[in-house]
This record gives sequence, C-alpha cells and structure tokens, in this order.
Amino acid sequence: MTELPLQFRCGLAAQREVGRVLGIIWIIPIAWLMRFFMKYRIKDVKDLRRRYRKLISETQAPILICPNHLTMVDSAVIAWALGGSWWYLFRYARMPWNIPEYNNFSFLWVLGLGAWITKCIPVVRGGSREDVSRVIKKIDYLLRKGDTALIFAEAGRSRTGKVQVDNHAQAVGRIMTTVPECQALCVYMRGDQQDTWSTAPKRGDSIYLDFEVFKPQSTFSGMRRSRDVAQQVVAHIADMEGRYFASRK
Amino acid sequence: MSREDVFQKVMGIIKPFVKNEEVFQQADESTNILQDLKVNSARLVDIILNFEDEFDVEVEDEDADSVNTVGDAVSLIMEKLTV
Repeated sequence: MTELPLQFRCGLAAQREVGRVLGIIWIIPIAWLMRFFMKYRIKDVKDLRRRYRKLISETQAPILICPNHLTMVDSAVIAWALGGSWWYLFRYARMPWNIPEYNNFSFLWVLGLGAWITKCIPVVRGGSREDVSRVIKKIDYLLRKGDTALIFAEAGRSRTGKVQVDNHAQAVGRIMTTVPECQALCVYMRGDQQDTWSTAPKRGDSIYLDFEVFKPQSTFSGMRRSRDVAQQVVAHIADMEGRYFASRK
Repeated sequence: MSREDVFQKVMGIIKPFVKNEEVFQQADESTNILQDLKVNSARLVDIILNFEDEFDVEVEDEDADSVNTVGDAVSLIMEKLTV
C-alpha cells in the first residue's frame, strides 16, 4: 500500500494529540453518561477488562476491533466496556479510532468537532472510491503506528437483528491483508433487551460482550483475498453469536 | 478485444446489481456506477470480482479505488488485458 501523504500524517497526529489533551473532558463524561444516565451495565465487566488488558500487554501486533453492529453507539459502548474510562487516559493509543458515517453529524459543526476530538475519521458510505480508500489508508497507517481501530465487520447495522454474514465490510479484509501481523479482535455485543437494530441500547439494559482474537488465513490473492478475509471475520462473529444464543437456552 | 466489446460485457456484469433501470438503459462510459445506477457500494466488490472471472485478470484493492464510472471500469480492464 502506498505511503500516507505527509499532510494526512500530520493531521492525524494533531487529531490524536488534541484528543489526548482533552481526554479528561470527553472520555470520563461519555463513560459516566453511559453508566449513570443510560444506566448500561456490562456483564462480567471486571473479567472482560482483565482479559482485554492482559491481551494488550502481551501482544505487539496491531489490533483491529471488529464487532457486530446493532446500534449507533456500539463503538462507544465497546470501547468503554473493554478498557474502562481512566485506563484510556494513560493508554490513549488504545482508545480505538472509528470511521462513522459523515452524514450522521456533518449538519452541525459542533458534532463534527466532537467527532474529530473523539478519534473519528468520517467516511461517506457509497461515496467516491478515492475517499473511502483514503480513510482505509489512514486506518492502515494508524494500526502500523501501534494505535487501535474499530471497524464494524458488517457493512451497516443488521436489519435482521442477527449477524449478516452476507453483508461484510470489505475494508476489514483489506486492512487485515495489508497491515503485517494484524489481528482481528472479533467482538460480539448484545443487550438483553436488544431484539433488533436501533439507535442505542435501551436505557438500563444489561449488555453481554465477549471478544476473541482471530487470525484469518486465505489462499486467494488480490481483492478476492480481502473479501475472503472479511467474510471469515464476519463468519467468526456469527459463530460467537450462535454460541451466545445456545448458552441462553 | 475492442473497448466497445469490453463496455458491453461490463454492462452485462453490472446489470444484475443495478437499482435504477431507467438510467441503465441510457448508460454510457460517464455513468457513475454507485450514484447513477444506485448499485450498493458493498456490491461493487462482487462486480469487480466478476470482471476478474469474465476477463481472466486480477484486480488489486488499490486498482479498484479508481473505479467510479463505467468508463473507469472499462479502462481498468483494458489496462489489465494489455499487461
């Protein structure tokens, strides 16, 4: 993959450092909003964070967090669930970069500024291929630098409420195949009251979340390889979902 | 293979994914695949992989970044066929 132009590298560095300096005024309040206002509860959160922190401390490989996708706040809930809030203040590189849909917040400059501070790299879904490619290259660059990123394995919130294996995000495969040693951290998340897709988990919901490291292998090349890898990642999350529902019977 | 032949085959491959049939009937090389033909962006990968099968070429992700219009797709295939 071609090297990211200097202006983008400088832009990302500025974005990261401003976000880091302002971390105390956005990371903690967002976590409190989820915990005390929305009253979300993460099941077995202590064990979950212990496992995640152990994984982070033991691996040097780039980590791409690949969750299922049911609500618009999944990425915030997942980041909070995995790392807590204070932890990120001291390990800011581990606060995942996100690629939200640009049109979800472009109508208000304050939202755009907020997204910039909170490590978001907006993308116009269905936009020009060059723009989408530029965003992928930024994530590629950040992962190589030791940052963590989050890209949903599904190309959009699941309209069926279950993982849609035929609707994979090609970007996941593309990044996994270009970033050396990149590992997918497959995440399955679901609130007890989450029957189907929505804007956010219901207030007071108790949320199940689990993760598994997955390293897809593919014998294909070119775009076919990227697709194969992306499909394997989403299939692995579907398998996690199957085990989740089986355990509830 | 002539550019016109490639264009016709490309149109045949794109057709099943098109949501705007009216525009498709009058499409030319300047027609945007996603915006004009309303092809789902996730399906663009399937289309390009179908190009690979049809023309026996291999396309990298970065090559596909240049494909916005039908003409871009035709140019990419023509380039691959001459390599």
